[in-house]
Amino acid sequence: MTKLPFEGIRVADFSWFGAGPIAAQTFATFGAEVVRIESETKIDSLRTVQPFALNPDGSFKTGYNVSGYFNNYNAGKLSVQLNLNTERGQELGYRIIEKSDIFLTNFTPRVIDKWNLRYEQIRQVNPRIIAAYAPMQGLEGPHRDFLGFGAVLTPVTGISYMSGFPGRPPMGVGTNYPDYVVNPGHTTTAILAALRYRNRTGKGQLIELPQIESVVNVLGTAVADYFANGVIQTRGGNRSPIAAPHGAFRCLDDAGIVGSTDRWVAISCRSDHEWIETCEAFGQPGMATDPRFATFASRKANEDALEELVNSWTRTHRAEDVMTLLQERAVPAGVVQTSQDMLDRDPHLKQRGYYRYLDHPETGRAAYDGPGFQLSDTPGRHAWPAPLLGEHTMDVCERIIGLTPDEIANLLAEGVLV
Amino acid sequence: MTDRALEGLRVVEFTDELGSYCGRLLADLGADVVKVEPPGGGVQRHTPPFVKGLDAGPDTSIAFWVHNTSKKSVVLDLDTDEGQAIARQLILSADVVIEDNPPGWMRQRGLDYHALRPARPKLVYTSVTGFGHNGPHANYAYTDIVGQAMGGVMTLAGEMADPPNLIYGNQANVSASIQAAEGTLVAVLHADATGHGQHVDVSAQEAISISQETAMQTWDLQKRNRVRTGERGMIPIALPGVGVYEVIDGHVVLFVLAPGGADFPEFVDWIREEGKAEDLDQEPYAEVCANLKMSWLSQVMADPAKAGPILPALMHIQEVVKRFLAGKTAAEAYEEGQRRRLLVGIVSTPKDLAGNSQLRARNWFKNLEFDFLNRVIEFPGTPYRLSETPARISRPPRLGEHTGAVLSALHGQED
Repeated sequence: MTKLPFEGIRVADFSWFGAGPIAAQTFATFGAEVVRIESETKIDSLRTVQPFALNPDGSFKTGYNVSGYFNNYNAGKLSVQLNLNTERGQELGYRIIEKSDIFLTNFTPRVIDKWNLRYEQIRQVNPRIIAAYAPMQGLEGPHRDFLGFGAVLTPVTGISYMSGFPGRPPMGVGTNYPDYVVNPGHTTTAILAALRYRNRTGKGQLIELPQIESVVNVLGTAVADYFANGVIQTRGGNRSPIAAPHGAFRCLDDAGIVGSTDRWVAISCRSDHEWIETCEAFGQPGMATDPRFATFASRKANEDALEELVNSWTRTHRAEDVMTLLQERAVPAGVVQTSQDMLDRDPHLKQRGYYRYLDHPETGRAAYDGPGFQLSDTPGRHAWPAPLLGEHTMDVCERIIGLTPDEIANLLAEGVLV
Repeated sequence: MTDRALEGLRVVEFTDELGSYCGRLLADLGADVVKVEPPGGGVQRHTPPFVKGLDAGPDTSIAFWVHNTSKKSVVLDLDTDEGQAIARQLILSADVVIEDNPPGWMRQRGLDYHALRPARPKLVYTSVTGFGHNGPHANYAYTDIVGQAMGGVMTLAGEMADPPNLIYGNQANVSASIQAAEGTLVAVLHADATGHGQHVDVSAQEAISISQETAMQTWDLQKRNRVRTGERGMIPIALPGVGVYEVIDGHVVLFVLAPGGADFPEFVDWIREEGKAEDLDQEPYAEVCANLKMSWLSQVMADPAKAGPILPALMHIQEVVKRFLAGKTAAEAYEEGQRRRLLVGIVSTPKDLAGNSQLRARNWFKNLEFDFLNRVIEFPGTPYRLSETPARISRPPRLGEHTGAVLSALHGQED
């Protein structure tokens, strides 16, 4: 079997919630030993929130190990409990950092200070460390101590102001959106670049990812449009400046979908040709030459009527059928999928094996997101399911820190390994 | 001159909307990125907004610019034998290819991974497409909205009364590009160590799908679908201190009941200090305000006898909160709320971002000199700060700006 790219690399993962652990997940998947430092005295809230696995009678399982939210981002990692509010806990944390290649945290600067985890401190014990900090606003500056998570960042960075329908309040996008790809993905990219630099020069470095900067970066068009043109972009619904029709259109309800049976299909026509194909697919070739819709400019000028027309077509079809009908004619179209679709129905994701299924001692068999890219020769793996809280405390203390069983017993009694 | 993290990494890209941001990330980190473009430029070169007062064209698209900084541009017609031959030479002198054409497109031109690997075993070849290079939907036509739909994020965004919402900024494309940058660099590190390159296959549908948050696990563990709930996200009912509030000049968003900040009684302290607490210190409101936390609420709501009187009290408290915030500007509510460690976010407009005091204090925006327009335009900075090898932005190239220089360097190599 081919060696994985990060065999021999160790990550001291002092992060929590979504963005930090997802960044570290990539290293675990591709062979690194990722040690998650946790504590029941400052529990990762994701361990305590829904969705929980169910008991056979339908009630929720309880405890720190049954949240699908937490588990999904932590497969193949080690969990060690260290109480960093104790001096001894901090000292043990340093001994893990000393033997690691990468340090990662997304705690606030205030907590980093309290636990003595500043870069100039940890580089003393490990000058080659690549230390990545991903605070909300940055390590410096007037808003350094501002609090938040993805759902706060969504309005602060402009996503809320620019997403959704005109006339609706800036309600955001229903999730902590930046926590899942934008911030962890940028963090991982920076660490990988720093690893390459270290391989060349032997030098470690400090990486700072102010989450606000990382997110505004991907909204750059709107910001640069303001700087260049003074234009303040705002919510434009589902429309596009380069395609019409462009949106989500209502289809026949589907009683097989749990929760809400409404069904939608996304359609976007970037050219007159794609619009003609769409009209023909629905048996309405005359609409392609209707002067209201014949050109891109006329479709944009009559977009309300255009959308009403397309809705009247889709409303009598199953969403899956509209997708197939249009895709057979090479028109971009896709079902607005629920998770039920993605896990149980989507034949494509299934064949590509995107979701990974792992047997977890408390949740039972559960699905995990696979990596967001597939490598042909070193595909990576979820070596084991998410760790139970403190599952590897003994292992890490003995093998990495080098403590004896007696020392470990004493530290447990002193409340350091909790 | 500081060191660059990706110094010496040679990248050739054949990308448009899907993959160009991947190339930008590598280019800002110091890789030498040559963008091969068709005559006239691709879709992104012709996507608005354009710089006002100038001809809308390949060299004035802001949408293109923000995904193509720090690169070189070479125009080649890949439908000609000559164009294909030059592209092949470029690739064979590179470490990395990034391309975002439909599966099969590069193969038809003799430029796919399998055609090139024998001559360049160390090559990392990254393909960014809507659905990846294998599977029953591999050849599906793709645009960003199709990726957001099929990737499961649209169904979570918006109000039930509206169609599912698109997230601004081509986020399926951006997600695919970010995952592609990660996958490319993992493969580059592996190639550095072993001499073996590989194919990196990125599907935009898969790339964005982890952004479903807990929806995937909710179906997997509980056989329930999360639906779109407007401003409330995962919180089941409208509650004071959670959601979008109108202020004098816009909106703010509060998550006071979420973990991670000060609690509701501290929010009431602020309201009281400004003399806007009305009757919140009287019963039944005082007790509700004192206890208002998600854990307390879920206990109370489980018992219909207790929940009955609480609901009208919550609605009243909500009205008091609305009146309090309606008298503030967005900046006041944000700055003072955060000073009090309350989870308050400002709904920033692009103009607010341009003036954001944190971004300004950190000198995040960069002045880019567009010499060919005789203009300096401010630009959003890079996503990260690397102490030894800072990412740096230089202006995006004009269409074909480096064709002559890159091709003569290539001929020089041959000689």
